[in-house]
Amino acid sequence: MTNPTVQPPVLEGRGIGEVFGRGDLAVRALHPTDIEVRRGEVLVIVGPSGSGKTTLLSILGLVLSPTEGEVIVDGRSVAAATRDELAMLRRTGMGFVFQQFNLLPSLSAVENVAVPLLLDGVPRRERLGRAARALDLVGMADKYDVVPRRLSGGQQQRVAIARALVNDAPVLLCDEPTASLDGTTGRGVLTVLRDLASTANRAIIVVTHDDRVLPIADRIVHVIDGRVDSVASNNPFKDKTC
Amino acid sequence: MPRDSYCTTTPTAPPATDAMSSRTDGARRRRRAAPGIASLDRLGGLAFRMLFDAPFKSLGTLVGVVISVFLMAQQASTLLGILGRVTSFVDASGVDIWVTSLATESTDATGSLPASTVAAAAGTFGVAWAAPIVQGLGKVTRPDGVQENVKVLGVEPPRYAGLPRALSAGTTPQSLRGSGRIFLNWVDRPTFAAAEPGDRIEINGRAGVVSGFFLGVNPHNPFYYVFANIDDARALTDFPQDRVTYVAVGAGTGQQLADVKARLEQRLPGALVKTTPELHEMEKRFFLVRTPVGVLFGLGTAIAALIGAAIVAVTLYSTAVDRARDYGTLKAIGATQRDILQLLLFQAWIFFAAGYLLGMLAFGFVRFCFSELAMAVTPSLVVGVALAAFLSCTLASLVAVRRVLLLDPAIVFRA
Repeated sequence: MTNPTVQPPVLEGRGIGEVFGRGDLAVRALHPTDIEVRRGEVLVIVGPSGSGKTTLLSILGLVLSPTEGEVIVDGRSVAAATRDELAMLRRTGMGFVFQQFNLLPSLSAVENVAVPLLLDGVPRRERLGRAARALDLVGMADKYDVVPRRLSGGQQQRVAIARALVNDAPVLLCDEPTASLDGTTGRGVLTVLRDLASTANRAIIVVTHDDRVLPIADRIVHVIDGRVDSVASNNPFKDKTC
Repeated sequence: MPRDSYCTTTPTAPPATDAMSSRTDGARRRRRAAPGIASLDRLGGLAFRMLFDAPFKSLGTLVGVVISVFLMAQQASTLLGILGRVTSFVDASGVDIWVTSLATESTDATGSLPASTVAAAAGTFGVAWAAPIVQGLGKVTRPDGVQENVKVLGVEPPRYAGLPRALSAGTTPQSLRGSGRIFLNWVDRPTFAAAEPGDRIEINGRAGVVSGFFLGVNPHNPFYYVFANIDDARALTDFPQDRVTYVAVGAGTGQQLADVKARLEQRLPGALVKTTPELHEMEKRFFLVRTPVGVLFGLGTAIAALIGAAIVAVTLYSTAVDRARDYGTLKAIGATQRDILQLLLFQAWIFFAAGYLLGMLAFGFVRFCFSELAMAVTPSLVVGVALAAFLSCTLASLVAVRRVLLLDPAIVFRA
């Protein structure tokens, strides 16, 4: 296992802030914030609903452009990148896990996992092989050809995690990955995420208000009213039962 | 130390050891190299599969395109069929060049020429023969006593130029010899109580004896067509003895029609000289301008295309709205705007391809079942309907394209 602290940040936000709207209607969703994550590390962002944690994740995931500051990916600023360049960065450098799973309903599990590779132009045989291996990794080896509606919530989330893993992206961004899952299933998903950080050397950012997530965190960022309230580098919950 | 930047205007190359950047640039290279057909291979399957996310809407879209294609084909082919009938008298004649009055607008609106024009035409270099045709109007009395309009066309023996080349079995041009003989149109035979040779038919109160039937003329106007010996035609319609409606001209062997036509125009400056294809076009133009048929069927075709476009636009847009989260997900996980554009265009083209195929099959079936209807199919119709359906589907998809391209990928982070 690699020690996260000795590696350079794979993803950084420098003074990133977000204001929605203009003039009198302007609403500050996120105050200027510095944040970084390294390979092998699980960074958990917690806070109440509406606190700005999803805005922070959206900015770090390059799906929302900050109104202030800049995002740095592997040491390079993306401030001047075009929309399509950002899409390419997301495609190859990031994996996403969403609260609602967001699987394409007409595709089987293995086809869903293969979508990022399909977008990247990977030949069919290769992409299905890699998708199958990603499904194996999350314990879904027997569900390749099953469509999402025939999977449980936990199984769908595992497929979503496999989709996030399939392009070997160094960063995984997870938005409330356990919110739609029961306790046992949620713990299973968290175990997968923890293992990915430690054994696959991925940087994992998890946004949640679910306390069950805290034990897998290397660091915990508290966001309240659009401000980073505190960063706990020594997670007191670490390695306790999820 | 200044950082590198992901920017189109920043030429700085990423560090070779930068794994994430290398992956990105590799992907860029792959995308730049991807030609259109590769995009179809890459996204065509996904576009097709995503149609099944909203199967009923997709089915509705397909039905809309099928109906649109069917209506376009039916309307356009009916117009072509009618136009083909309008010109059938000219097309069936076998005449090379027609000389007629400058006042003539079509075979339904003719002037007349001095009979001496025939000799003048015949004496023109390059002309093998010239023969008069008279066209008189009258009323024919049906067996049930009803009177209808009739065009009596008089042709001159022994050539009988202007008589349709196709005659029914047992009928020869020489059957017109003898006083008061007429040829009926085969398609009108049922109206005249299944007329047989020897039956008498009253035209303008005078009797004509049916001596045969001609084929290949299926006019789309309120006239019956009857052919007679030129003298009988004059007698039946009170057509002046010293006038003719047309001079039918045959070009000599090896003569270019355009050259012969030019010589005739020079020799007969007071006459209108047209080759058969030119008169054919003149007939069509007159019909399209003077009757509402062209506008009606043209409008019908356009409306069919618009209906198809509207159905595709509404359903694709509606599907795009319904599936906004799916498109947002694709954007979030790295689909570029171009990918999204291709995805939606492929979907529109799938509807076009399937809709066109099924629509034309339905049209072919209806045409087979109702072969008596005036519906003509030409290569230009097949291509034209395909083009109209393709454009209709493509343009219609742009509404959905705009909706999805403007979609914020951050939508995926909202519960």
